[in-house]
Amino acid sequence: MAARQYYDPNGFTTCDKGFSFKIKAQYYRGFTLSILRELNVEIDGEEIPRDDVSITVNGETFTMEEARTVVDSDYRWEFGEFAKVNVKKEGGLKAGNHHLKVFQKIAPSYMPFPVEATCETDFSI
Amino acid sequence: MGHDIKRSVSLYSYQDEYYDGTLDLEGCLRETAATGATGVELLAEQMIKRFPLPIEDEKFREDWFNNLKKYNLTPSCYDAFLENKLFDNRTLSLGEQINMMKRDLRLAHLLGFDVIRTLVSTPMDVIEGSLEYAEKVGVRIGLEVHAPFSLNSGWADGYMEMINRTGTKFFGFIPDMGIFCKNIPDVVRDKVRRHGAKEECIKIVDDCYAERVAKGFTKIKYDLNLGKANMEYRMANGMKEMMDKVKAAGGADADFEYADASFVYSWSEPQDIIDNIDYIFHTHAKFYNVHEDLKETAVALPEVIEAFKKAEYKGFLSSEYEGGEHLRDVGVDSITQVKRHQEAMKRCIEA
Repeated sequence: MAARQYYDPNGFTTCDKGFSFKIKAQYYRGFTLSILRELNVEIDGEEIPRDDVSITVNGETFTMEEARTVVDSDYRWEFGEFAKVNVKKEGGLKAGNHHLKVFQKIAPSYMPFPVEATCETDFSI
Repeated sequence: MGHDIKRSVSLYSYQDEYYDGTLDLEGCLRETAATGATGVELLAEQMIKRFPLPIEDEKFREDWFNNLKKYNLTPSCYDAFLENKLFDNRTLSLGEQINMMKRDLRLAHLLGFDVIRTLVSTPMDVIEGSLEYAEKVGVRIGLEVHAPFSLNSGWADGYMEMINRTGTKFFGFIPDMGIFCKNIPDVVRDKVRRHGAKEECIKIVDDCYAERVAKGFTKIKYDLNLGKANMEYRMANGMKEMMDKVKAAGGADADFEYADASFVYSWSEPQDIIDNIDYIFHTHAKFYNVHEDLKETAVALPEVIEAFKKAEYKGFLSSEYEGGEHLRDVGVDSITQVKRHQEAMKRCIEA
């Protein structure tokens, strides 16, 4: 038995326009991106503006604004599957160690309060 | 006559193994069969990718039924999620919601289920508007009675009124055994200890919970604004007084985490099962931690199963393991937990 894994350890990449990582949703079923209400990224203490974050599921990429209306069966965030999160950041990440903090807010219709999870990790690139 | 209590496993129980990729859908069916259960409960949106498209596919269904045959399992209940707040700017209209419910009834039917679980957030009109279709496809709609809700309450009365008015045989209740918790699960207590909670604060919360159980919980009201209903319920059950005590004892984050978590559990009298048995056709046997000696520390399993026997229940008790979420920092073993729970239920049923 081991602690739950949030991030794909091989999923961190960077280029001069930004960086990306792969993360699993902290909820117990797959869901349409339309109920993903927040996906906030903080890298090395720096908060990334919402407009600079996009999510890729099943090969298609949606900005957080676009995700609000994504209900197609082929583009759900499936339970147990990594989604790729793309972050625009001029210059990307420097080689070395980094600290990543992601806040997920998922709003299943039946829940009085949304499901919130903060997932943190250290990684090197 | 006597009872006819059968055992099932909700695949919800294996979510941590599914998340990790150590079990796939067939693996979950195999593990279910290995526990001795004869029924299986499915959350299609959890383990069927690209929901709901594969269910429409004949080949997928052929595989599903072949697996059920292979593992000797009967479909017990299909858990639906009426995603009526699909978009952040509105709630789906009544007609849209009824269509969604009909879709789920149809999908359940295609996979061989004759019971569907719907959630407390499903408006009464949506259920009523789906009854004719439910009858047509032969799938009963069961409303999950999950803490903080309870049977024999003003909330349940509204649904009883609808049952009586329409005379329907296609709607009833699915009690979740989380409404029969005599204690807060030990795995929750151990988790907050790992988070740094103080024994003094833990005791305050445990004592307050025991007091709620002894006095009887103040029931939640019917209100589609679930956040509001839930907050009123918490206040009526002494939340503020408890929080004040925790604060006075120097409570920090982990202590308040425990205090807050205490409202996830509730206690109803098992007599509620007997009083409502005519409207219960499936049951979530929720559990949190079954020890090696087969004792579940929160749900009063022997007492509750005794009530089902006395009521001559004919249906499934479906194991629903929910302890894993408190063990994710140290590791989860749902497979062992479900095996123990099934054995514990078997002993109670046969006692």
